[in-house]
Amino acid sequence: MSLKGWLLFSPWIITFLVFWLFPLVYSFVLSLTDYRLLSTDINWTGMKNYVRLFSDPDFIIALKNSFLFVIGTIPFTTAIALGLALLLNERFRGRTFFRAAYFMPSITTMVVIALIFSNLYARDGYIHLLARMAGLSPPENGFLLSTKTALASIMAMDIWMASGYYMLLFLGGLQTIPIDLYEAARIAGASRQQQFWHITLPMLKPVTLFIIVINSIKSFQVFVEIFVMTKGGPLNATFTGVYFVYETGLRQFDFGYASAAAYVVFAVIGLASLIQFKLLRTEWRS
Amino acid sequence: MGYRKWLKYAVLSLICAVMVFPLVWMVALSVSSTSGGTTLDNFAYIFSVNRFGRYLFNSILVAGIVTAGNILFCFMTGYALARRKIIGGKLWLYTILIVLMVPAHIVIIPIYIMMNKLGLYDSYAALILPWLVNPIGIFLVRQYISTLPSSLEEAARIDGAGEFRILFRIVMPLCRPALAILAIHAFMTNWNSFLFPFILTSSEQYRTLPVALALLLGYQSIDWHQLMAGSVVAVAPIMAAFLVFQRHIIAGITAGAFKQ
Repeated sequence: MSLKGWLLFSPWIITFLVFWLFPLVYSFVLSLTDYRLLSTDINWTGMKNYVRLFSDPDFIIALKNSFLFVIGTIPFTTAIALGLALLLNERFRGRTFFRAAYFMPSITTMVVIALIFSNLYARDGYIHLLARMAGLSPPENGFLLSTKTALASIMAMDIWMASGYYMLLFLGGLQTIPIDLYEAARIAGASRQQQFWHITLPMLKPVTLFIIVINSIKSFQVFVEIFVMTKGGPLNATFTGVYFVYETGLRQFDFGYASAAAYVVFAVIGLASLIQFKLLRTEWRS
Repeated sequence: MGYRKWLKYAVLSLICAVMVFPLVWMVALSVSSTSGGTTLDNFAYIFSVNRFGRYLFNSILVAGIVTAGNILFCFMTGYALARRKIIGGKLWLYTILIVLMVPAHIVIIPIYIMMNKLGLYDSYAALILPWLVNPIGIFLVRQYISTLPSSLEEAARIDGAGEFRILFRIVMPLCRPALAILAIHAFMTNWNSFLFPFILTSSEQYRTLPVALALLLGYQSIDWHQLMAGSVVAVAPIMAAFLVFQRHIIAGITAGAFKQ
């Protein structure tokens, strides 16, 4: 233990206490009060905010949409990312180029991506025209103004954007598989398909678990896309958990109620990660 | 080439087109106008009518200071974790991992209230202070320094070099690869960030590019071509950084994921 050590470490101690621990605790305390912006008397309300949340149809819809968003994106993102990684795993000419191209969307500013797709999804936008040319009948006023397609359209954009990022993680995972395993399998006469199912896939379990968990945490918090593209509409069709926190907390300034919502969403995320860990771990062992 | 190889390239190129098309579309719209033809007027418009010069300046300033802060503070804290005994050292390591798992939405309201109470709402300080040191960076430096032999530092200490000198003249240069990765990571994350700059500022004076773009959508005074010109301004530095530092960026992502 040394004073110098503490001094060197102090930036993190301060940041952690001021910008993480204190807000986390403060947020929970707020959730037990009726504190609003400019309110003069603040009262303890106990669990009232939490009770109110579960009878608030807007919040129920928000949670449902968040779940839909996670369930509807993660299997696709994961599968596409794995497919891309397998395509790019072997060395060949142009590999670095393709890897960069696939990865490009995930480093692009989210707001910009949302703007581009707002244009593409709009009435007579490129994707709208393409859908019509393909003989489909896309919603009259564009994909984002229809309750049927708005959320799905944002989900599709997210899958497109995130696949390249998770592809990189899969590529990293593929490189940790010892080549000896494949050689042994080849000598034993295993086909390429057999090698994939019995070596590649089982060896990728830890990366896959990691990807599913972090992607779930991220997707549950979807906000920027929603804010730019639909503002939660039309008719709450894209209203999600974090959007509810923003709407009640920073537009209606109902700090107590919004904090309670934030904690519920937090709890749901924590619980979901835990369940995923348990499920995928046990499946892995068996 | 066999037909299998052709097929593979065809598939790869098709996916490539899907991945890159929206970005090409952005550029195409930004250099054209509603009346057709190629033009740079949209860029002139957003810099003269809208205050994109200001937004660009703010983005560069904030991301620049945050990046510099990350290099210095993640280095200091990472070094302390790797080489010094700190009371509750393990515990502090856990705080880093915990923060990595905590969703940001849970702290936005308290931080909004806090910044208001401190009189920092709508200022550069609000955009910069919370992000000067970040857990992934600390973790990266700590892991990196743990792999370095401490003999160099000890030799310098025997030679009578001061702590300050050892830290910044000997250890820091050795950490350059890790610091490069964390600097790029810090810059890109901050440059792209929307939620916190959006809720912690209100005036144009402190508005960053992503916030400006998000707020401009839907205004009568701006059309798609101009919005896309603004978008090009917002992503150009990131694309340039990506092309130059591709290997560092990819190394950073895989390092972050696999060293945990």
